Amino acid sequence: MIQGHEIRVALAGNPNCGKSSLFNALTGSHQRVGNFSGVTIEKHEGFVDYGKYRIRFVDLPGTYSLTAYSPEELVARHYLIEDPPDVVVNVVEGPNIERNLLLTLQLMEMEVDLLVALNMFDEVEAEGIEIDVKQLQRLLGCHIIPTSAKKKQGLRSLLDHVVRVYEGDIEIKKNKLAFRQELEHAVDAITGMLDDEPELGKYNRRWLAIKLLENDKEVYNVVRQYPVWVKTELALQQIMQETGTLYKTDPETGITEDRYAFIRGAMQECVRHPREKKQSLTDYIDSVVLNRVLGLPIFLFIVWLIFHMTFTLGTPLMDGLDSLFGLLSVSVSPLLPNETLRSLLVDGIIAGVGGVLVFLPNILLLFLGLSFLEASGYMARAAFVVDKVMHRFGLHGKSFIPMITGFGCSIPAIMATRTLKSPSDRLATIMIIPFMSCGAKLPVYVLLAGAFFTPAAAANVMFGIYLFGIVVGLLTALAMKKTVLKSDSEPFVMELPPYRWPTFRSVIVQAMRKALMYLKKAGTIILLAVLLIWAFSNYPKNPELDEVLDRRIAEIEMTVTDQGQKEQAITEAENTISSEQLEYSIAGRAGKILEPVIRPLGFDWRIGVALVTGLAAKEVVVSTMGTIYSLGEADETSTELKSILKSDPGFDQATALSLMVFVLLYIPCVAAVGVMRKELGQWKAVAYYGAYALAVAWIFSFLTFRLAQMLV
Amino acid sequence: MLLSDLNVGDKAQVTGLHAERAVRRRILDMGLIAGTRFKVLRVAPLGDPVEIVFKGVHVTLRKNEAAGIEVEKTGEAGDRKPMGREGRKRWFGR
Repeated sequence: MIQGHEIRVALAGNPNCGKSSLFNALTGSHQRVGNFSGVTIEKHEGFVDYGKYRIRFVDLPGTYSLTAYSPEELVARHYLIEDPPDVVVNVVEGPNIERNLLLTLQLMEMEVDLLVALNMFDEVEAEGIEIDVKQLQRLLGCHIIPTSAKKKQGLRSLLDHVVRVYEGDIEIKKNKLAFRQELEHAVDAITGMLDDEPELGKYNRRWLAIKLLENDKEVYNVVRQYPVWVKTELALQQIMQETGTLYKTDPETGITEDRYAFIRGAMQECVRHPREKKQSLTDYIDSVVLNRVLGLPIFLFIVWLIFHMTFTLGTPLMDGLDSLFGLLSVSVSPLLPNETLRSLLVDGIIAGVGGVLVFLPNILLLFLGLSFLEASGYMARAAFVVDKVMHRFGLHGKSFIPMITGFGCSIPAIMATRTLKSPSDRLATIMIIPFMSCGAKLPVYVLLAGAFFTPAAAANVMFGIYLFGIVVGLLTALAMKKTVLKSDSEPFVMELPPYRWPTFRSVIVQAMRKALMYLKKAGTIILLAVLLIWAFSNYPKNPELDEVLDRRIAEIEMTVTDQGQKEQAITEAENTISSEQLEYSIAGRAGKILEPVIRPLGFDWRIGVALVTGLAAKEVVVSTMGTIYSLGEADETSTELKSILKSDPGFDQATALSLMVFVLLYIPCVAAVGVMRKELGQWKAVAYYGAYALAVAWIFSFLTFRLAQMLV
Repeated sequence: MLLSDLNVGDKAQVTGLHAERAVRRRILDMGLIAGTRFKVLRVAPLGDPVEIVFKGVHVTLRKNEAAGIEVEKTGEAGDRKPMGREGRKRWFGR
């Protein structure tokens, strides 16, 4: 490959058109995920070397249009204008070609170098739909390449066409869609006015004119900066008035109707559907899954199934990893003669990181399930099934997906709320996400439920705590919508895509990405926090305690003769001393200051320490408890932590439940707080939220503790 | 008549849109424009939203959003009237 022979290609298309699968099939493992500048919408980039070129693909967010109504559409549009790619490939969902062409027409209006990938062509053939590609090409003025990302068909041909467009070997006709006469006059008049403004050079004038007629806020703001705006505005007002009174419609609707009119004409000429439409698999599944009686139970069952899959399959893997880290600690210990260094490495680093990594199988499994639901098309049905409930609590059925994502990690979930267009929906959803049981809270539940309940009861306890978070979240949303947020919510006009069997690879890749995100957090913040805790819980040192220990060991050596008894007595003495040392340290003092406040919840100062350090990341609660309860021990794994907790007289089922509730509800980790601050735009709202979360956590933990004491 | 007044199984044709802008834009994006024939397929288990189908596209909307779409009823459940894919007649008539 010669340097400089790069072709930049943007993939544009509707949601569910198979764009991401095509992107994966084209770029293979050469992928990178980032953000579009200024927004938190994922930007997937990848490349493939083809002939003498390196073809770089950018996967634009899936959109139906290129209007200013959603952040995704704006991002796609900005990218095409500000950073124009060499070729734009419009991915069209073959079986649903009619609706998909609406975006194609809007891309044509932008006069980009366009290719159409007629994707899912295998399904088109299977359904017996006949498409006259040649004739459609003539109508659109650009080449159409039948592809199937799933069967990896047409990919070479697509790449070939990309190269040929780049080399100028293919002429793109840039056909213009003519609107009805009065609109066409209006477009012409405004285009003419804009032509006088040389500064608007990078924009296509006709496109600007169409967008102005469509009442596009963003384009208004662009054109308003130039002198030409004065006469354009006058002309626009006049046109709006005329069309309104004469044709009883606004230009925006008229323009869309004309685009569809063109598409309908093209459909009549080029597409032939089979006469008998047999009941599709999707219709059949939906008649069961969205059934009035069965719909809700099936939805709840699927959610329940995912959690059981996560835990029953995850536990053996978890145990394996656990013993691996135990083995590591044991084998590393003798290699380090320096006691401080050994303590730092074994009790701080290995124990801390191990305690986090151990939960990776659970997180991976959970996200495998969620990615599968997303890719198969069930997620949209879930929104349909639960919208009424969500809407009743002032939320949108779509809030459900960020809410579900909140079960993995609050950070992507809070970012995912950007798909909600109404600011009040977004705010309410952001506020309830931290009440969902994120992946980092899972270690705490697994540890406590595993230690104090039988495996069967533990699964139910965990299901219960997940459910409880949802209830508290929904009540919070309702309270907010009734008091501070009273404006309208987002429309629920959305498509239920046909069910598709997701490719194994795409599901895996999605889950791996989520796991990687968790790991990155584990690698940086958590390790730092664990080291900090290790330091806090070891320093300052009380030198007197060492002397006391030496004296006691000497006493034991003298009085106890039996070797076994002697070792046991020494270990006990050591544990007492390390616990006293911890009490003396910074962490111990902080926990003690907190103790009066958390005593009514059943917590002692050690849990206080864990709760404070847990602000760094919720999973740190576990590693802190590990460090606190087992200082001075070489082998520190969570199985051991469980037995230590169980043998602690101050720790019973009621305490465990109370702690789980508190960890569920109190202030989210610092990373989530940071993202929240960014999304809310002000610290004040975050501070209010923090105070609210602490109050809610305290009250519910108190109730849980008292209730559990009475019942257990 | 409004879309929200239709029952499950009813067939109708869109005659006009009165929804507020953001809702209307979404309706237009889905392809539900004046003249589109559709069928009310089902309501969600909890009674809202509704699902309609046209040209092989399944679209959901809440009842209050459906109230912004003016329709003309063309048939109901069990009448065996085809919903009609626009233009089919012309295709076969050519």
